[in-house]
Parts: sequence; C-alpha cells; structure tokens
Amino acid sequence: MKVHLVRFTLLAMLALPAMAQVEDAVPRPPVPGIAVINPFQPFDRAKFESMAAKLGASKEQLAAFAAKVDELGLSRAADDLLRAAVPKYDAAVKLHEDGDPRAALELMQLLAATADPLLQAHVRYHLARLFLDDDDPENAIQVLNDYLSQNLNLSPLDAEAAFFYAQALAEVPMLEHALPRYQAFLAWFPDASERFRSAAMQRITEIERQQQSRLHQLADGMKRTTRDLRKQKTDKPVQVDQEGYVEELQELIEMFEEMEKQAGGAASGLGKSNSPATSPSLPGGESSVGQLNKRPSLADRWGDMKDKDREKIKVAVQNGLPPQYRKQLENYYKKLGGAAEK
Amino acid sequence: MLKFLQERVNKATKDFDSLPAEQRSGAAAAATTQGLSQKQARVRDLMRRLAVKMGKENDAEEGR
Repeated sequence: MKVHLVRFTLLAMLALPAMAQVEDAVPRPPVPGIAVINPFQPFDRAKFESMAAKLGASKEQLAAFAAKVDELGLSRAADDLLRAAVPKYDAAVKLHEDGDPRAALELMQLLAATADPLLQAHVRYHLARLFLDDDDPENAIQVLNDYLSQNLNLSPLDAEAAFFYAQALAEVPMLEHALPRYQAFLAWFPDASERFRSAAMQRITEIERQQQSRLHQLADGMKRTTRDLRKQKTDKPVQVDQEGYVEELQELIEMFEEMEKQAGGAASGLGKSNSPATSPSLPGGESSVGQLNKRPSLADRWGDMKDKDREKIKVAVQNGLPPQYRKQLENYYKKLGGAAEK
Repeated sequence: MLKFLQERVNKATKDFDSLPAEQRSGAAAAATTQGLSQKQARVRDLMRRLAVKMGKENDAEEGR
C-alpha cells in the first residue's frame, strides 16, 4: 500500500505542466492559426470535373472517374483521373510509389511549372506524403501550408490533406498545434475514411496523455534533436537542447530520490538492478521500435544509386526551380545523403 | 543511466562541432552525425519506453 502511494505520488509529480521550452535548434515551420470557422466547403464535383477537363481529361477518362468513385472512393478516383489526364504527374507519382529518390524532384518541377490550382493541390498532397514517408515533417508542413492557403476546396483530397497536416505537426513534434487540428479534422470531415478518423482519434488520446507527462515531453524533444543531428546540425542551439535534457533528467532523478526518502524505500522499479550492465555503452545497431523488417528506405535507394545519377538530380535541383522549392529539395536530398552514408 | 547516456551524446556532439570546418563536411562527417543521431534516437527510445511504462502503471493505480 505504501509503495503504491509512493508510485502514485511520483506519477502525479511527473504529470506537472510542460517543461520550460528551450530555444529550438531548428526554426520550426510557420503554422498559421487554426480557423474557428470551417474553411472547407463540400466537394463540388462539377467544378472538379470541369477543371480536370481543362487539364486535358477526356470524356472517357471522366466516365472512368465516375465509375471508379463507388469502388475506390472519391479521393483515389479523383487522383487517378488526374494521373490519367496529366502523364507527367502520373510518372512522378509512380516514382514516389516505387520509392525512387527522383520523385521529390519530379514533383517539385511539376509544381513549379504549373499554374493550375487543382494540379498543384494533387502534387502538393503527394509531396507532403513523400516527405512524411521519409521522416521529414517540417517540409511536409511547408508544402501543406501552401496547399491549405492556395489550393483549398478544389479536390476531394482536402480531408486527407487536413489529416496529414495534423500528422506532420505531431511528428515534428508540435503537439500543441497538432491536437486542435486532429480535432478539427474529426469535426469537419465526418464522412472521411474510417481509417483516417480512427487514426486521428487514437492520436488525440496519445497526445493528450503525452502533454501531461514530463517524460514524454523529454522524449519529444529528443526526437527533434535526433532529426537535427541527422541533418548534420550540431551547433549551439542543438547543444543547448541537449543540455536541457540532462538538466531535466537531473531534476527528475532528484525528485525520485526525494520521494524515496520520504517513503522510506525505493519505489517499485527504481531500485538497483539485479543484473547491471557490464558496459556503459549502448548496444550497437540501428534503433528500432515495432516493425523490424522495413522495406528499403528512400535513403537506401539514394545510397544505391550511381554517382552520376545522384549528381544529375543535384544539378537539376540547382537549375530551374524557384528559390523556395530549391531550398526545400536541397534540405531533403542532403538528409537523404546523410542517412545513406551511415 | 539515461542521464549518463545523454551526457555522452552531448559530449560527442560538442566534440564534433568543435572540429575545424573542413572536418565537418564530407562523407566521413555525414557518417559521424548519422551515428550521433542514432545514439540520440536510442536515448529517446529508452525515454519513451520509460514514459509508456510509467503511464501504464499510473493507469493501473487509478483503476484500482
């Protein structure tokens, strides 16, 4: 009973408000305030079909779209229609589906070349998915910021864009921004796919729990630093973050010790181990939680490419892209290169 | 243990950052920062597991 009381007190203390925010090592992407009024309008199918026709969709392709809606759902059918109407778009998405490192470049070039807001919406959606797949949520947020400000209410992909925006924010992690967006997604898209809706509900529960735990917040901070280091950022702001973790851990240790003293013994699980490690070093190998047999990542594919093919992509990134897109891709390929050279 | 491990990552980060600029670029440097990132990821994973474990214990206590 006494031990239970100590553990309960300990856990209650762990649920203190958020630890002090240290200066971010990498500036977080700007996140506009969430609209109180739902900015999403019901999908206008006639408008979509008319815009698709302007992009080159034939009558047959439009008929195929109508036939596919029931089978695949609006989002997939609409994306398939655009892929059929715009071969360059189809080719770029195929590269993404195949895990080809050229996909980001091809999609970005297409984005830079088109002024059509519907095609922009679909390209941005796939770019965001690509960045998320490759653990680059900051770039995904930037792309979806543009989607939400420039391409809203044109495509049935809006619901998924809203979901993945919340997911990207949670991945950074920017939980305080992610939570209201997951909630808004559930409120504004009651007919969205159950897969996305149940994922959103689960994440809301997890985030609410994490926001109350100092240990989860520490792990969140470390996640950011892990990504910073992978991007070869080791400068002062990163070091300040790391020092903050040590200070926070020291505070927690002192708190445990104090409670141990007050309770007259070690709380469960906090005593000395019966089989201490013989070496203070971490076990070797890649860190992994959950699925161990991952398919080859984009970084692996990038590493397997011939030097001349990688060089070709790098040259293409430097030529012909607007500066904001170029910067995004430079960061993306730099990170891929770092991961591939491990 | 977590504190000790984090301190080791911190030191390795500082040591790398204090190298001359020419030694902080290129393939070898990329491999080093990748290794640092993996070490930081392991500390993060341990921290997350501890947080989850404590959360479960807390839930069990509240359920009694």
